[in-house]
Amino acid sequence: MSPLFRSRLLWVLIAAVVVIAAAPQLLPPYQVVVLNTVGIFALVTLGIVLLTGVGGMTSFGQAAFVGISAYATAYLATTAELPAALAWLGGNPWGGLLAGVVLTLIVATVLGGVTLKLSGHYLPLGTIAWGISLYYLFGTLDLLGGFTGITGIPPLHLFGIAFDSSPALFVLIWGIVLLGVVATLNLLDSRQGRAIRALNGGQLMAESMGVNTFRTKMVAFLVAATLAALAGWLYAYTQRFVAPTPFSLQAGIEYMFMALIGGASLVWGAIIGAGAVVYLKEALQDVLPHLLGKGGNYEAMVFGLLVIVLMQKMPLGIAGALARRVTALRPHRGAATTQIAQAAPLARRPAPAPAESILEARGVTRRFGGLVANHDLSFSVKAGEILAVIGPNGAGKSTLFNQLSCVDTPTSGEIFFRGHKINGRSARDMAGAGLARTFQHVKLLPTMSVLENVAIGAHLRGRKGVFSSILRLDRSEEAQLLKEAEQQLIRVGLGAHLNAEAGSLALGQQRILEIARALCADPCLLLLDEPAAGLRLKEKEGLSQLLSKLRGQGIAVVLVEHDMDFVMGLADRVMVMDFGEKIAEGLPDEVQANPVVLEAYLGGAE
Amino acid sequence: MSAKRLMLSVVFGMACLTSAQAQVKVGVVTSSTGPVALVGIPQKNTVALLPTTAGGQTIEYISLDDGSDPSAAVSAFRKLISEDKVDAIIGPSGTASAVAALGFAAEAGVPMLAPVGSTAVILPMDDKKKWVFKTTQNDEIVSAALVRQMVKDGVKTVGFVGPTDPFGDNWLKVSSADAQKSGIKIVATERFQRQDTSFTAQGLKILSSRPDAVLIAAPGSSSVMPQTTLYDLGYRGKYYQTHGAALADYLRLGGKKVEGTTVAGSIMLVMDQASDSNPSKKVAAEYMGAYEKKYGSKPATFGANVYDAGLLLEQVIPVALKAGAPGTPAFRAALRDALEQVKNLPGAQGIYNLSPTDHSGFDERGIELLTVKNGQWAPLN
Amino acid sequence: MNAQIALLLGQDGVINGAIYALLALSILLVFSVTRVLLIPLGEFVSFAALTMAAMQAGKPALLGFLLVALSLAGLVMDLIDATRGGARRLRIGMLAMPAYVGVVTALSLALPLKDLGMALQALMTIALVLPLGPLLYRVLFQPIAGASALVLLIVAIAAHVALVSVGLLIFGPEGARTEPFSDSVFMLGEAVIQSQTLWVIGLSLLLIVLLYLFFERNLYGKALRATAVDRLGAQLMGISPELAGKVSFGLAAFISGLSGVLIAPITTIYFDSGFVISLKGFVGAIIGGLASYPVAALGAVALGLVEAFSTFYASSYKEVIVFTLLLPVLLWRSLAQKGVEDEK
Repeated sequence: MSPLFRSRLLWVLIAAVVVIAAAPQLLPPYQVVVLNTVGIFALVTLGIVLLTGVGGMTSFGQAAFVGISAYATAYLATTAELPAALAWLGGNPWGGLLAGVVLTLIVATVLGGVTLKLSGHYLPLGTIAWGISLYYLFGTLDLLGGFTGITGIPPLHLFGIAFDSSPALFVLIWGIVLLGVVATLNLLDSRQGRAIRALNGGQLMAESMGVNTFRTKMVAFLVAATLAALAGWLYAYTQRFVAPTPFSLQAGIEYMFMALIGGASLVWGAIIGAGAVVYLKEALQDVLPHLLGKGGNYEAMVFGLLVIVLMQKMPLGIAGALARRVTALRPHRGAATTQIAQAAPLARRPAPAPAESILEARGVTRRFGGLVANHDLSFSVKAGEILAVIGPNGAGKSTLFNQLSCVDTPTSGEIFFRGHKINGRSARDMAGAGLARTFQHVKLLPTMSVLENVAIGAHLRGRKGVFSSILRLDRSEEAQLLKEAEQQLIRVGLGAHLNAEAGSLALGQQRILEIARALCADPCLLLLDEPAAGLRLKEKEGLSQLLSKLRGQGIAVVLVEHDMDFVMGLADRVMVMDFGEKIAEGLPDEVQANPVVLEAYLGGAE
Repeated sequence: MSAKRLMLSVVFGMACLTSAQAQVKVGVVTSSTGPVALVGIPQKNTVALLPTTAGGQTIEYISLDDGSDPSAAVSAFRKLISEDKVDAIIGPSGTASAVAALGFAAEAGVPMLAPVGSTAVILPMDDKKKWVFKTTQNDEIVSAALVRQMVKDGVKTVGFVGPTDPFGDNWLKVSSADAQKSGIKIVATERFQRQDTSFTAQGLKILSSRPDAVLIAAPGSSSVMPQTTLYDLGYRGKYYQTHGAALADYLRLGGKKVEGTTVAGSIMLVMDQASDSNPSKKVAAEYMGAYEKKYGSKPATFGANVYDAGLLLEQVIPVALKAGAPGTPAFRAALRDALEQVKNLPGAQGIYNLSPTDHSGFDERGIELLTVKNGQWAPLN
Repeated sequence: MNAQIALLLGQDGVINGAIYALLALSILLVFSVTRVLLIPLGEFVSFAALTMAAMQAGKPALLGFLLVALSLAGLVMDLIDATRGGARRLRIGMLAMPAYVGVVTALSLALPLKDLGMALQALMTIALVLPLGPLLYRVLFQPIAGASALVLLIVAIAAHVALVSVGLLIFGPEGARTEPFSDSVFMLGEAVIQSQTLWVIGLSLLLIVLLYLFFERNLYGKALRATAVDRLGAQLMGISPELAGKVSFGLAAFISGLSGVLIAPITTIYFDSGFVISLKGFVGAIIGGLASYPVAALGAVALGLVEAFSTFYASSYKEVIVFTLLLPVLLWRSLAQKGVEDEK
């Protein structure tokens, strides 16, 4: 039996198809109408799950994207005045779909280009702003029927089938929702998907692993916009009219409610959330007049309060709360084990010549205002050599490390990597060139599996993009990447924890995980920021052996450390820093005997 | 609220829904929240005053709020039609919602009585719109009356002010056409939003084009700010307001700055001065009395549109009962047919004369041109 | 356009801009202390304006009932916290807010506010709106102070939805407007300047300066800002994040209540007017980079001016222009931003 048929997902899908085909025949007609609405909302919300719940970008602009597509569809379906060049778009639903999606993507590209580089709260506020401005644009353009909108959209005909009744539309809408869910699940379970998941709290790390975070944000944003555009097309043919109100900021906010109520971090949360909100409103409308009297309008008030209470009690949403209790509901990712086992190894970078100069610093100085954090530092590391940088707290080690890893740029002086000057280049560029690093404060994605965390390190060794992942054309490459991650994990001694959540590892193990992740990039230089901190003796010995082995394979290692014993037994050379300056450099024994060093460490400058 | 309590309330709610099994069911969809709440709330309140029996049958009203959202209005219609199996629907409050919903009412063969101003819901008459009846004066009639008065007042140029919503859209269209026919030039068109904190910029624009008069077409109290701002900026030309302004709040908010404005109102505003021969006077007095007794305040004219819809149904239900029992397509179709035959029915807003081609049926008798004198409404002539 | 029109437009823009500036400052204040983007700020403005209008119309100020409900909810939550905490932290201080709310509500219902003159009405209005801030913080945000920024934002928006609905319930759908503080006008060259304008601008400037002094010069102000940077650290230093949150919400409610009183005579305010007004405050705050008070204030005033002039030229496209103008600002911010940042 092929692995496909053993997949739990497949059975879920078959069940879903059966349910979708049968439901409209079994349900009362009005329930079909309501579920159609739920389906369209779920499609939009799915985009928010990807964008906000997974990618960490809060957007209230989804409703506006639905509107662009719905208006494009409605306009093309009703107008008789298209210029000849565009006439082929008019009068058929495919033209509307094409125009809707393309127009939405154009607008999304512009808006995304402007706002996605920004951090934090600019994005939600920016999306609120354009949400409002697009709403008024819909209402103001005479072409689009002003605030009254466009009516008289003919029923949808595709492949000779009329989708003119709720049951017919039900099959279409939920069929598309199902495809959307599968596509999103596929996307998230891929090289691109890991990058998207890394956006939420791991951007600095992802950049250092060679992920273009801006591009990745754009990918998530455009996929979400595409889902919204599909929903808009369906909306136009379901409601058979469009007016500005359903695409207003209020609607954008409502979609966000759906995502959060359902559980924004899980794909199923979109459907649960859309259903919960729609049915909650139905229930409130039916029940409240009986409880609180027919005079007032308490629906919005009660709805708002319920959202608040829900968020206070279940910040992860309904799906999140369920998944916490039922393991089966949590996402399972990764290629099948058999595939991984059979995967061919990834191509490797040509190894540097023995004793080639890998990293060289010449007179590196870094000032912060009046403070000189690094002063005139010069040193070099060759292939197959371990250089340790030590020094008391505040010596400027971290500043130096940041410059070496291209997170920061020297005020003056030069840094060369394999003979090329790298001042001012981005951390991402350097990852591609063969520089890999770990972090002083461990940066990993705690809810992602150990294996997947490590696979991010191999990001640049894969090529497959969004479409391949959605269509699952990336499986052999994915298996290769995961195999690489698995092997690196086995190599560093974490082979027993492949599928554990990374956040569940002990701190020392997390540090080792970071090394495995760095190794996945097939580096020629490894920058390690306090790798031994928090490790037990046994683990330190293991790490020491690992690094020696790497040295033997021609990798250059720079490690910044506190732990003298660890460094002394391992490093080829040691550089000692104090007050931003190099006070000594040499063989470990020499340095240990150096009176200046003893003064710095024991003299108690701290 | 715990899940259990929610469940309890749902069950309780269902029990209440099914307990009152009426024979004729009428759905009501109003915008009692959201931006059009001003229009929708008096309409929703009026539901409690509608006739409860007709032709020996009790009438049950099922009232839903669409939150001023056309999608929600459509959902409400579909719910009323397929869940509650209503025989007729009164509503919705907004033009965009009504236009969106009428297709679904027509498809199900449910007559719809729309309390909206725009004739877009009944014209041009077609297979769908034949199910729609409009219980307000057409904007065209109100506009024509106002423009005739402008001609009488010697107005040659006019500035148009309307909100950025369907109400403003339709009035701009209708009044521009009327003005053009009468040789009046619209020299400035300014739009605003109800929630705007200032009308100064638009006011200055109007001022700089120096029109003889300004026509402000806005629903409810939003009709006030443009006028007071223009007054403050020193504009002393003539002011015309539509039936949208015909509310007590207009006088309250406008104060002395709206003195002398010409307003197209209804008899409800000048009950004392109206002649007893006007058949609407009695109906309007009954409605206003009942409303004030129940809610402690006078109703806005928007509420009367729903009241009139109730009167129309009360009139035609006995006729339709001959064709079939409530809840059957035959009964609903007969309701529709009977509505087209209504002649000389006095409503609170005017006198209804419906026909297969005219589903609004108001003539100008429903319109009273009013002016503001000493902070009170007064007939213009 | 001539100079006179330009002057009048400028005046209009500056008034609105001053109100937006006040809101932008409140937004920054609350955000920097609690990480909450306080969307319901606009409701404080509209509630203040409508409460004052209700007083002048001789209607009962029903806002008190909302306060009573919220303060009781707060008290219950305090009690639950105290018993759950194990250590019986029942303090008499828990009763302070309900007591204050009780007194203010009683006063607002008992006093013949219609005849008490504008100053007392304004005072009473602010006394009623002010506790909304700390109460909202206590009931909505204190239990989730450590939650993700997104959850805080959603709760803020849900609070806005609920409050607008409450506003419709207690104030009705009709708009309201209050008497102007004074009807007098000044002539500046050819242009008429309403004294109301001077009131708005003067009070706004005063508040901006006071806020600046409070945060830059006053120890407690600095402590508030410290909470924003490091909650735990501030707590260790003896600054309670709860108190800091309540104080910042209270200040925001005070400032927006005052804005409401200032704006009420100029324009008709509806139950749902607050949102758009506060959004423009947000635009100002964004221009200020969600950090700089003076830049935010200037940005808000600039926004008011842009709004006035764009309305003059194309009133139908006003909102489109105003909100689209944020895009270049964002673009500029985006180009100015280097590298990537991780936010929590």
